[in-house]
Amino acid sequence: MTEILFYIFSAITILSSFFVVFSFNPVHSVLFLIFSFFNVAVIFLLSDAEFLAMTLIIVYVGAVAVLFLFVVMMLNINEVVVKEGFLRYFPLGLILISIFLTELIIIFKDINFFGAASSGINIEELINQGHENTKALGLFLYTDFFIIFQISGYLLLVAMIGAIVLAHDDKTNLKGQNVYRQKRIKKEDIIKLK
Amino acid sequence: MTSSNYLILSSIIFSIGFLGIFINRKNIISILMSIELMLLATNINFIGFSSTLNDLFGQIFALFVLVVAAAEAAIGLAILTIFFKKSGSISIDTINKLKG
Repeated sequence: MTEILFYIFSAITILSSFFVVFSFNPVHSVLFLIFSFFNVAVIFLLSDAEFLAMTLIIVYVGAVAVLFLFVVMMLNINEVVVKEGFLRYFPLGLILISIFLTELIIIFKDINFFGAASSGINIEELINQGHENTKALGLFLYTDFFIIFQISGYLLLVAMIGAIVLAHDDKTNLKGQNVYRQKRIKKEDIIKLK
Repeated sequence: MTSSNYLILSSIIFSIGFLGIFINRKNIISILMSIELMLLATNINFIGFSSTLNDLFGQIFALFVLVVAAAEAAIGLAILTIFFKKSGSISIDTINKLKG
């Protein structure tokens, strides 16, 4: 049953990611991207990664895809220009990608990783000890991987500051507080008795 | 599911993203979306190995990949908006002079 569901959802994922690349309207591309993220979240659920599935929906669909949608709607792109150059690069790209993909599929077709080296965090043991997926993730994320976790937090902070600094525009006529002017102002400038 | 199922699914999605970078030469937003697809393919690999090898480390690493993908999308789209404000187009061919 799980296997059939896996095949169905992976087929839908592949189809929708095709449409992400090949649809000429960028809004349709973003919507298909959201759809493929949902399907991958279902695949994650089938592979017993519940926390990652929910995080994928929250982070990607809730934040990243909405950001894409906003940017696509903010920039006024006409479709005619977008279509240009499609046929010029398509044959070369298709040949290269099909070579790449066939090589990968030939390698991966009957690969076997049984007995591969593992990091020692066994999921079954954790479940037997009564830890759910989310709890087990937190158990290792905040102890063994604490420094990486902190560094990823700093990465997000730097990305946030960078995005604000890049997108901030002084010249536009926004209403804001000018502290210097506010402190310098005198009573006589505002209240006038006649 | 065996690990080759996950590997083939993720390599197909990765190739589609790769193809998207190749053919969408006039639209940077599509290229950013293709990069998102490729990062998603790597995440599928991590989760697949975590499931088949019965090891939690793949899920922990996939979380960090998610963080990097979110940061990359934010910075890329911010650069894109200011570039569009300056030049009025987002074609790849005009982004040979990124200096404002």
